[in-house]
Amino acid sequence: MNRNDLHQIVYRIAVVTLVAIAVGIASSLAAIAFVEAIHWLNDRLLISPYARVQTDNQPGLVAIATLMVPALGGLLVGLITRFLIRERRGLAPPDAILAAQTDGPTPGFRSGLASTLAALLSLGSGASVGQYGPLVYLGAMFGNLSGYLKLNLRHQRSIAIACGVAAAISTAFNAPIAGLVFAHEVILRHYSLRAFAPVTVAAATGYIIANVIFDRPALFLVEFTRVEHSYEFLLFALEGALCAGLAWLFMVSLKLSSRVSQRYIAPAWARPAVAGLLLGIVALWIPEILGIGQETLRFATIDDAFEVTELALIVVAKLALTAICLGFGFVGGVFSPALLIGILFGALYGTVLPHLIPVPYSGPVVYAICGMVALASSVIGAPLTTILIVFELTRNYDLTIAAMVAVVFSNIISYRAMGRSLFDLELRDRGFDLSLGRDKAILESRPIRDYLSGAYTIARVDETVETVRQRLVHGQRAEAMIVDDDDVLLGIVRLQSIINTPADTAAAEVAVRDFTRFDEQTSVWHSMEILRGFLGEAVPLVSMSGKLLGVVPEEAVIRAYLEIVHELREEENEGA
Amino acid sequence: MKGPELTVTLLLCWALAGAGRAEDQPPPEPAAANPEVLTVATWGGSYEESQRRAYFEPFTEATGIEIKTVPYNGGIEDLENHLGSGEARWDVIDMIQSDASVACDQGMLESIDPEILVPAPDGTPPEDDFMKDAIQPCFITQIVFSTVIAYNDQAFPGEKPDSVEDFFDLETFPGKRALRRSPVGLFEWALLSLSVPPEQLYDLLSTPRGLELASERLDSIRESIIWWRSGEEPAALLASGQATMATGYNGRFFHARVVNGVPISVIWDGQLIGFNSWAIPRGTPRRGQAEAFIAFATRTDRMAAQANLISYGPTRASARKRIGLHTDNRVSMLPHMPTAPGHMDSAIQRDHDWYSKTLDLRQKWFKAWLEK
Repeated sequence: MNRNDLHQIVYRIAVVTLVAIAVGIASSLAAIAFVEAIHWLNDRLLISPYARVQTDNQPGLVAIATLMVPALGGLLVGLITRFLIRERRGLAPPDAILAAQTDGPTPGFRSGLASTLAALLSLGSGASVGQYGPLVYLGAMFGNLSGYLKLNLRHQRSIAIACGVAAAISTAFNAPIAGLVFAHEVILRHYSLRAFAPVTVAAATGYIIANVIFDRPALFLVEFTRVEHSYEFLLFALEGALCAGLAWLFMVSLKLSSRVSQRYIAPAWARPAVAGLLLGIVALWIPEILGIGQETLRFATIDDAFEVTELALIVVAKLALTAICLGFGFVGGVFSPALLIGILFGALYGTVLPHLIPVPYSGPVVYAICGMVALASSVIGAPLTTILIVFELTRNYDLTIAAMVAVVFSNIISYRAMGRSLFDLELRDRGFDLSLGRDKAILESRPIRDYLSGAYTIARVDETVETVRQRLVHGQRAEAMIVDDDDVLLGIVRLQSIINTPADTAAAEVAVRDFTRFDEQTSVWHSMEILRGFLGEAVPLVSMSGKLLGVVPEEAVIRAYLEIVHELREEENEGA
Repeated sequence: MKGPELTVTLLLCWALAGAGRAEDQPPPEPAAANPEVLTVATWGGSYEESQRRAYFEPFTEATGIEIKTVPYNGGIEDLENHLGSGEARWDVIDMIQSDASVACDQGMLESIDPEILVPAPDGTPPEDDFMKDAIQPCFITQIVFSTVIAYNDQAFPGEKPDSVEDFFDLETFPGKRALRRSPVGLFEWALLSLSVPPEQLYDLLSTPRGLELASERLDSIRESIIWWRSGEEPAALLASGQATMATGYNGRFFHARVVNGVPISVIWDGQLIGFNSWAIPRGTPRRGQAEAFIAFATRTDRMAAQANLISYGPTRASARKRIGLHTDNRVSMLPHMPTAPGHMDSAIQRDHDWYSKTLDLRQKWFKAWLEK
């Protein structure tokens, strides 16, 4: 190894580590500040039970706050989304996935901040949305920022985004291994040593900040000894299957709600306010649906905290209101609501089960936890992450294995029914289909115009066949592009079709008008699709106005494909 | 402030401020004129005895002002009644911090000038020496105590209880349970015994569902409860065998075991950490002397003197450094403090904001539960 190589290795290790630590610290602190700000708003706006009980002597005030705070919060969220976010929607994990998967442009920092503010107002005013989606985007945003530094590192942006996400999840759940796996499982979608090392550093940084410096409380602490009977694993599997059905219902409800709001409420900025008002009305009756519902999550792990009918009612209400809040434009995630709906459904399953199958069992707590992770893992497409969250928070093998069984069965079914996750469905709606792997997504995001060539033969409309023939022979080409005075492409003249044509015939007369062409938006993937059955030298690429910009030889399309795939394989298999 | 009182106050403040700068904090000068009797409302028993030795007697010796005590068992009702009687007889009151906060908000307390507080012997200013939030406009927080569960060793010769859950387990650990007849700690322990982590207790108790669950848990031991009102009773109930387990103040159990030799063991699991504060009831004609007493009682040497008599932690860092052996029995005091290593693992930090703002609600639920 020569000195330059050694310098390069030392430089790379030092810079990658520093970037991972810096992004980890920024994401972790931002995550803590975000969560604390939500609590502060919930207390000030009389959303949290802790604040509501302290104004117990003013029931009118609590009722007015329940009705008005989500509605006014929704109005502010609607205005922010309309006027401050360029994309006119809340930015979420799918945007982080896309930024990490492709090297295309990402939403701007201003949009990211505005989206975070909208999420903060949504959660602060009690909307039934999750906090982890915005946290993931926040982490990705810090990672993306570091991508602008000219550090001369390959794959810097995607790794830094994964670092930010890992630190945010590690901080939020006090679960560094889950953070590390989430970043790989959901964001990067591959495992490589080059990404693994910095993402691990960032996840550990997030954990140290959350757990050691700030001593953040865990999401839940559950006392559970062990699964008493082996046949219960069948019951966990069945629960997983039922959770897959519930996850499907959840996703369908989200889409339906979005369609309904677009159809019936004209100004987009007013939609969240309507959802807020609906939420407030229902919350007067069922306050558990307000906000993230951490108290409800805890109650679900206590035997007999709920009646069976209460559990069923809250599951339905939470599912419906979350779908309404998100579909109508509140900004937030789906993970927290999925955890809550899942744990309540699990508690319901665990409570009803002994009546349906009267055999000894281990009590409802394990079923509640299984329901929580089975449903959430299907919705966000992160089975390993959710299993690890249970393990890291409880350190209980029996509980983790039970959760694993439920998660596996839930994911097998939900994958077949609706795909890998809600995030993938959202990306597919935006034209990025990740179901065929990263290759396709990247091929779809890379424009073929990057491979444009100026090596082609031009013919004017008034030129004769002989002139064009001479030019083609001289240039050793078989095709000429016929353009008018404005360089608008009119057709293609092929050498084999003019060999026997009279010399003084106008070239435009023998030009092929119906020919294969690319435009400025054509991606590498789409160009390969277009090239099916294509016979010729090169495909012309035209502007929106039809102007000829250049040609893309068939060889260039194959070269583009090979370069991208090679780059991907290298990224996925390279060492640190 | 009247003339003689002003003279006394100024003299004491001058003496105490001077003492603050000195290394050994010399005692205040004797009162120059017209010494009077100062009435302190406090909690009786071994706790009051420790106050007598650490604060009252030295104060009288230094100033000539006699200290008279009246019984007080917490809450703001007694203070309300006292103020409502129209005659201000109490000059200083030793209150639970959350009660003091409520009383302050309701205008029942005089303000206290923080300038009266004396620096630590090494010159550290009071605001840096006292724990965070100890110095308030109406009260000065002076000790950390905890309400714990204790049991009579002889009642359980085999397996010993060691958790809050065991307090509710009448099958494994039979016998009567002594509990304070007040909505303080009961709901927390009830939920803690259902495996709710301490840091989530107040969020859950803020919901009707949480209070309902706690009430149901208390139902499971309803028939075995003996109620106590004054701080001395729990240790006496354990000593007499009337109760096998009891909740009570850690210092009282310490005193019963170390000084009186009663076989009492403390369960530190779920200890409810609380704070006591000095305050001055509204309208006292002896406000100057009352402030002078508080300035004296919150000096480093005096707080340390009390901590070496009863196992309550002082709120001044400089006083904590002086905790050593029990003044009479030469028992090391630190292992008996609520903040000793290992004791804080599952401690409940009493949420004073929540306590001060849920007084009516807690009383309503407690009354309804008693009447059920």
